[in-house]
Amino acid sequence: MSDKFEVVGTSERKVDGLALITGRPVFAGDLDLPHTLHLALLASPHAHARIRRIDAGGAARLPGVALVLTHENTPSLRFTTAGQGYPEPSPYDARMFDSKVRFVGDRVAVVAAESPRLAREALSLIAVDYEVLPAALSLDAALAPGAPVIHDEADAEGIWDAPHNLAAALDVAVGDTPAAFAECVAVVETTCETQYAQHAPLETHVCQSYLDDNGRLVLYTSTQVPFHLRRIVARILDLPIHRIRVVKPRIGGGFGVKQEVLLEDVCALVTMRTGRPARWEYTRSEEFVSARTRHPFRIRVKVGAREDGVLHAIEMDAIQNTGAYGTHSLTVLSNAGSKTLPLYNKAPHLRFTGRSVYTNLPVGGAYRGYGGTQASFPLETALDRLAERLGLDPVELRRRNHIGSGETSPIFAEMGEGREGVPMIIKSCAIPECLNAGMEAFGWAHKRARPRDTGPVRRGVGMSLHMQGSGIPLIDMGAATIKMNDDGSFHLLIGATDLGTGSDTILGQIAAEVLGVRLEQIVVYSSDTDFTPFDTGAYASSTTYVTGKAVERAAREVEEQIRRVAAVMLQTEAGAVQLGDGRVIAPDGRSVTLAEVCTRAYYGADQFQIGATASCVPEESPPPFMASFAEVAVDVETGQVRVLDYVAAVDCGTPINPRMAEGQVEGAVANGIGYALTEEYLFTPGGKVRNADLSRYKIPRTLDLPPIRVILVDSYEPTGPMGAKSIAEIGINGPAPSIANAIYHATGVRLARTPFTPERVWRALREAGIG
Amino acid sequence: MQILRPRSLDEALDALAAHPGATLLAGGTDLMVQVNYQGRRPEVVVALRRVPELLQMEDGFVGAGVTWSRLTSAPWPGLAQAARTVGSPQIRAMGTLGGNLGTASPAGDGLPFLAAVGAGVEVASRAGGRRTLAWDQFLVGPKRNSLQPGELILGVRLPTDLPQRQEFAKVGARNAMVISIASACLVRFADGAVRIALGSVGPTPLRAPRAEAMISADKHPSPAAAAEFGRLVAEEVRPIDDHRSTAAYRRHAAGVIARRLLERALA
Repeated sequence: MSDKFEVVGTSERKVDGLALITGRPVFAGDLDLPHTLHLALLASPHAHARIRRIDAGGAARLPGVALVLTHENTPSLRFTTAGQGYPEPSPYDARMFDSKVRFVGDRVAVVAAESPRLAREALSLIAVDYEVLPAALSLDAALAPGAPVIHDEADAEGIWDAPHNLAAALDVAVGDTPAAFAECVAVVETTCETQYAQHAPLETHVCQSYLDDNGRLVLYTSTQVPFHLRRIVARILDLPIHRIRVVKPRIGGGFGVKQEVLLEDVCALVTMRTGRPARWEYTRSEEFVSARTRHPFRIRVKVGAREDGVLHAIEMDAIQNTGAYGTHSLTVLSNAGSKTLPLYNKAPHLRFTGRSVYTNLPVGGAYRGYGGTQASFPLETALDRLAERLGLDPVELRRRNHIGSGETSPIFAEMGEGREGVPMIIKSCAIPECLNAGMEAFGWAHKRARPRDTGPVRRGVGMSLHMQGSGIPLIDMGAATIKMNDDGSFHLLIGATDLGTGSDTILGQIAAEVLGVRLEQIVVYSSDTDFTPFDTGAYASSTTYVTGKAVERAAREVEEQIRRVAAVMLQTEAGAVQLGDGRVIAPDGRSVTLAEVCTRAYYGADQFQIGATASCVPEESPPPFMASFAEVAVDVETGQVRVLDYVAAVDCGTPINPRMAEGQVEGAVANGIGYALTEEYLFTPGGKVRNADLSRYKIPRTLDLPPIRVILVDSYEPTGPMGAKSIAEIGINGPAPSIANAIYHATGVRLARTPFTPERVWRALREAGIG
Repeated sequence: MQILRPRSLDEALDALAAHPGATLLAGGTDLMVQVNYQGRRPEVVVALRRVPELLQMEDGFVGAGVTWSRLTSAPWPGLAQAARTVGSPQIRAMGTLGGNLGTASPAGDGLPFLAAVGAGVEVASRAGGRRTLAWDQFLVGPKRNSLQPGELILGVRLPTDLPQRQEFAKVGARNAMVISIASACLVRFADGAVRIALGSVGPTPLRAPRAEAMISADKHPSPAAAAEFGRLVAEEVRPIDDHRSTAAYRRHAAGVIARRLLERALA
């Protein structure tokens, strides 16, 4: 379908690529303002404690210290740091500073000083008298009778059951699963646990704030959600929204961790109190501990099938560790079900139960995959077991059960983002093509049929099937403004936030496609609350599908205005002319250039600004799909797992920019391989992170990665812009289950806990009497 | 912070005589981590990269300033194999064998080779002149060596009758930029004598004398003998639990790689 496009479907270079690779000072931390105050964080050394007394006098008296902020001199209202649509579905359980700390790394105080060194030095002069409280440092400890109550404050809002440390809970039932399991010939039940993981963006959180010439507050910051951020900071500081401008420059990676308000409230307060610019940048260790993480989960999955290999019932019971605060707790929990269960809509009986549990550990947040990643692991490994039980190839089991075009799942209507969902009929689903193309490229049939190796190093192959979404239906909104210039170029103004994903480029491509110009004729300006229209931000795989549609609509309106002007110039009907190659062409071949059209609109007759603003609120969230295949070599004596080959066959509708779409999948798969094999937070018995840096927390490097082969199968989503769906997250869901299934194929041993480190694999093998 | 940059061994020894407590800087791959992340603030630094005497590699001598990049093509296979597993290309370009001895981490990738071949460590100072210490007199504990104030590591002296049968391996959580969970170097002589040394499984690199004696007595070891060798090595190591691994896994992994290195040397 994409061959009908000129600019869309082409691997254009990123519009910001040259600036990035030539090292232009394009990031939030590159801004260099005179008289800036530098901020440093005093983080809690205790997992759970009340602050009896805090004496900041010594720090405040240190020459060069401008301000010390603690719970005693800052706004006390409760909010959520989660940058979500309003009203946020996360509990209001956080304060700027609180008189109670709830994890090692929680905010106690911030110093603003003339230099970063002075600010850090001043921290040691703050005397804090803590009443240390018993801490709940695991799911089980937090759920135990008599467990310490982590949120005992009276003014929190939106907590499900604070006395029992439950931030959120869900129970969704379709049909009757207990009765249905009794009707199955094969039932498999498995419980898996996943770990704390870190986004590890190259750029840590950084914010700079200052007052503009009119005394308005400017926040120049590394965020995925500029408009949510403006709203949340305005509320915390009791400022009118119009007194705040949020600018998102280039971002060095987000992956969800920047869908939070972590620095901006404090920077803003320092600037408001002192009138001076303020700068706060997390160190790498603070990024690990005091920013956000991937919620760990314990998930029990039960699946049952009838004689024909068709699933009859699926149960999923998910217990999520949200850490000390409930950011994204309910929504990540619900996505564990809503981004996995609809994939297998042949099962008429479904049950999803979930609890989000507070602990005195680091805080969970949005992270690429958003619950779908954590739940894919137990579900897809359970299906691997079920296939074996039924004597079916794992691919064949998926073929008999996956959702298809023209079909639906009750989950779409039952489970939304913190509330009921939106019913949806799937209009594009190339899962059969993904399975076929993936199997063929991978050599599945041949590799699967190989006899099991018997030596110390054993090869095996595994696969899994995945879905995600494209934005949040009836909640997300993207808007775009396009205005025309008198040289025939256009400005595209969008609130959507390019985090390095390339969304500025693909949104420019969509506009260029409609307007019949090359991408260079589109000047893309994104994410400045003063100059760009509203956008909920870059999360939930929304930008391509949601903002892309808004761009397409705005461009169509502009196209219509151009036609009308050109029709007058060409003395023909507006409906008769065509846009292309920077011209407007009449049926008889006469034409005017776009420059001539806009020059007339600016200076000739009937003058007006050619331009339009359009919005998109999606009515559905068409899932991208992915078939994932992994080949591993397991050293059964040492437990080391090497991934030898990886194929991801993806249906993302029309890839607006194929090379960048492949890059999104490659990056997500690499991210997922780290999650599957090496990445995990380790804690001291007191709840302190032991490996809060990139030397001890192991993300994969080039030598650890197999060739990652991405196949974008032919597909077209009729509701998407130019047929597109989104693609940013789905890739990360594949590696953990595909690799776990491959390890089983190689060794006959099932792993139920990520990551599959050498030691963990060795212990599992030894328990099974292997190696 | 004062930084001295001697251009010869004489100048370096003078600098150290004047500042016996000075911190030595070679590749900086350990020191700069301490400076940048652990708040180490040395008062005087003697930077050694311009001292030509430390860069020699000939006649059974490897200068302390020889980088891992150079060692990847060294004529000692066990050392070259170890050099290839160090850090990343950037770290191999900067880090030195002398740095491994100076830091004296039990996880130093070059140390099992030195221990397996029975290397001597040559040190010098203005006051004490030159002396050579056996590797196990030099490496005395975790991050502790017997370098005296004012003393400088010149390099290592290797036996000249080493066989070509030298093998190195390490187990880590990923393939590069990883500190080993366990490492080992094995040397097998033409007469069947075997020396094995292990890293990351004790306070210093350590040899496994009972395993060595058992396998050295066997001219043509069978698979069963190789397995027994691995078992003895696993018994003789002295690992601890830390964030990288448990002692139990380290002990097991040490036995596995010891047996595999022997099999490679026999192949």
